[in-house]
Amino acid sequence: MFRSISKKIQFLKLLHQNPNPSGNSHDFPDFSQTQLTNNLNKNLSLLQDILGHSNDVNIREFCFGNQGKIKALLIFIDGLVDARIINESILRPLMYNSRFIDSGGKVTTDPLREIERSMLSVGNIKRINRVGDIVHNILSGSTALLIDSFCEAVIISTRGWETRGVQESKTDSIVRGPREGFSENLRANTALLRRKIKSPDLIIESRTLGKKTQTDICIAYLKTVVNPRLIKEIKRRLEQIKTDAILESGYIEQFIEDNPLSPFPSIDNNEKPDIIAAKILEGRAAILVDGTPFVLTMPMVLIENFQSAGDYYSRPYYTSVVRIIRYIAFLVGILAPAAYVALTTYHQELLPTPLLITMAASREGTPFPAMIEALAMGVVFEILREAGVRLPRPVGQAISIVGALVIGESAVSAGLITAPMVIVVAFTAICSFVVPALYDVQVIIRVILVILAGFLGEFGIFIGLLGLLVHLCALQSFGTPYLSPLAPLNPSGLKDVFVRAPLWLMSNRSRGMGEWDPLRQAFRLMPQQPEKDNE
Amino acid sequence: MKHCGIIASVLLFVFLTLSLSGCWNRRELDTLAIVSGVALDKPKETDQIMITTQIIKPSQIKPTSSSGGETGGSSPYFNLTETGTSLFETIRKMTETCSRKLYWPHNHIIIISWDLAEEGIRKYMDLFIRDPEARLLVFILISKGQAKDILEEKPDLKKIPAMEIAEIVKASGATSFAPQITLKDFSERLLSKTTSPVAPIILLTGEGKGKRAHVAGTAVFKQDKLVGELDEIETRGFLWVAGKIKSGIINVECLQGKGQNSLEIIRANKKIIPEIKDGHISITIKIKEEGNLVNQMNNKDLSEPAAWEDLKKRQAAAIEGEIRAALKKAQELNTDIFGFGDSIHKKYPELWKEIEPKWDELFPSLETNVVVDAKLHHPGKLTKPLYPAEES
Repeated sequence: MFRSISKKIQFLKLLHQNPNPSGNSHDFPDFSQTQLTNNLNKNLSLLQDILGHSNDVNIREFCFGNQGKIKALLIFIDGLVDARIINESILRPLMYNSRFIDSGGKVTTDPLREIERSMLSVGNIKRINRVGDIVHNILSGSTALLIDSFCEAVIISTRGWETRGVQESKTDSIVRGPREGFSENLRANTALLRRKIKSPDLIIESRTLGKKTQTDICIAYLKTVVNPRLIKEIKRRLEQIKTDAILESGYIEQFIEDNPLSPFPSIDNNEKPDIIAAKILEGRAAILVDGTPFVLTMPMVLIENFQSAGDYYSRPYYTSVVRIIRYIAFLVGILAPAAYVALTTYHQELLPTPLLITMAASREGTPFPAMIEALAMGVVFEILREAGVRLPRPVGQAISIVGALVIGESAVSAGLITAPMVIVVAFTAICSFVVPALYDVQVIIRVILVILAGFLGEFGIFIGLLGLLVHLCALQSFGTPYLSPLAPLNPSGLKDVFVRAPLWLMSNRSRGMGEWDPLRQAFRLMPQQPEKDNE
Repeated sequence: MKHCGIIASVLLFVFLTLSLSGCWNRRELDTLAIVSGVALDKPKETDQIMITTQIIKPSQIKPTSSSGGETGGSSPYFNLTETGTSLFETIRKMTETCSRKLYWPHNHIIIISWDLAEEGIRKYMDLFIRDPEARLLVFILISKGQAKDILEEKPDLKKIPAMEIAEIVKASGATSFAPQITLKDFSERLLSKTTSPVAPIILLTGEGKGKRAHVAGTAVFKQDKLVGELDEIETRGFLWVAGKIKSGIINVECLQGKGQNSLEIIRANKKIIPEIKDGHISITIKIKEEGNLVNQMNNKDLSEPAAWEDLKKRQAAAIEGEIRAALKKAQELNTDIFGFGDSIHKKYPELWKEIEPKWDELFPSLETNVVVDAKLHHPGKLTKPLYPAEES
């Protein structure tokens, strides 16, 4: 049996060693290095060949100059450009104003430069002669101006397409704090970030990823705080992504994460500018991806899942209580069904007698063993959740009513499921929503622990928990241990783990990330009563 | 990708091993017969032992029975009685009549009948201590009359008689008229060469349907054989020396002696100081007690310091009297229930080797001094007696 498995594995290995055939499967001529000629018609046909004859590619031929003798053309993608800019800032000055310009007999050495300078009233202009770059710019919303007898194209930034504005974030709602969330527009997102951190230290580097999608991404970090090795490592990993499509930041996350085989995420994501800004200020780096509001931050540590932006905006006392509750809820979320199974099938002596009698009473006459019950109820809950998530809201409510009434009430009264099990599974489900970032992890661990508990009892649970601990200790995220600051222990970092210390106490950035510039603020910032006048 | 193979084989290995274990001791709740109490009796004229176990029927205990009442539903427990030669064998024989295997961790009480206890109970206790399922914190009780009958008493507040009796034993701390002896305490005393085991006495009072379990007094063992009993006052005397007084009421007369005062014991400490001088052994028992006045049944004005002081003295005298009574009874029975032997052993380990063999001769005539330091704190909400003020 093992032999056949190992054979299979070897086959898989061979498959992976084969050079990836996807790159040059079709023999299109490589145009990326081709340069423009000074023949307008040739250039046009070259570009038409490359862009194909898609109907959203718009080619506008026109003439200008004081005799209207200079032939030129604009190429842009309909829908990606702002028609107003093209009409008023490109075509009107060229076609209308240029007729009245008297060159005065001067022969300029660089007529293109003259056009740029005196006619195009657009902010962002560059000149390119490589065809590949021109096509890329056209496809990302710029307009290319090709003029006869010049072998360079003027690329005019005319981007302007329909976007969703800045709206309230749907995934991370808090009681106190800014409501705005990122949108799908990369520029708007970097602007939101820049508005939070108005420092020249905030560096936003950009590059494109994805052979076909040519997705723009940005790496944002604080130059003076971040560890330069982290940025180097991020760039190294980004360069290794050779794929057709980057449609969401999740694609990048899965290509560059440290622990692809672990259920625990080693790159965090969020869609709120204030949270991303806070993480950047701690010395993390963020990756913004065009087309998605979700921004990646790295390195990530486990405790980030238990922190919420609201923790820092509210006063520390109740916040600390809430944070401890989150840890408890996480533990309940992974342990409760397993503990229930272990207690009722192996360790009945651990229960107080009245509780045991109550549980035994509800157990009478139910057909399935506790482990099967726990697993089945877990599956039922996941089905209900999944059904509710995808459906429109009014139908979703119907689902939850059916789930609550039929599955909960009727299954118990019909004697199919014990009532305590329904309570345990329901409470576990609620608990696992307290730490939403780890919801998927909790489900996986919970199932494993239930199986271990069903076979080995409490012993099995502890084997599972020990395994979990060992696994967590072994994880890293971009060089930072996943359990830091707990393991390796960093006492000053504990101010922001189980409790949230007052802001005036947290003068240091967390070690492992912000050590490049460890000081966040001055010491002794605790607010004081004004000194009384002695008079 | 190398990892994939390793991980796959490890997972496979783990799952195969898990299923091999076969959950050998897995027991669902509906396969358990939860034992809540057990009674050991001696059938007449035989060498056998009769065991009665009280088993809970969970399905009859409705946790949310608001409709409640006597009507409908059978009783939430049943008693199984079996006779056999050895304890364990007899317990196993119960599966002949009970569809589920007995489950012992939730056993609350072991009631032993007087006859059986007189014959010695070491051999029975062995099983309850040795078996991993049974707990050491179960209460031991000695019944006057058949132990089995006590488990058939109809409980008032709880649904299971055994659980109600366990609660009664716990509540006995309010009067300190009965010791609370768990299997652990009992076995510790069984293991001592000189200290005698004790256990509270339980008996049924009343007739017919009004029968109630009644826990008071102490059964005294010599080694593992029952030899006598202490009444309520002697029991409290014993508990003073054992340091197990939790609460209780002391009635004392007043200076003029027209009516009694009830004093509540708040807390008490003991100290046992053995002393050997020129081969003469004496034991000093020091008791520190604190109490409150809870009930005055005469018209003496206790706010007078002299009267209050007098009350304190009388309280100390009453305590000393109780201790003296217990000492006298224990010496009559020649049972060292107080653990004097062990305290001498601790203080004079060398001399003890000589004393130990003749302890049985020494104990009945042991010299004891009782020093009681009793305090009286609060007179309650009333400072004057509930009588019209006297004209002075």
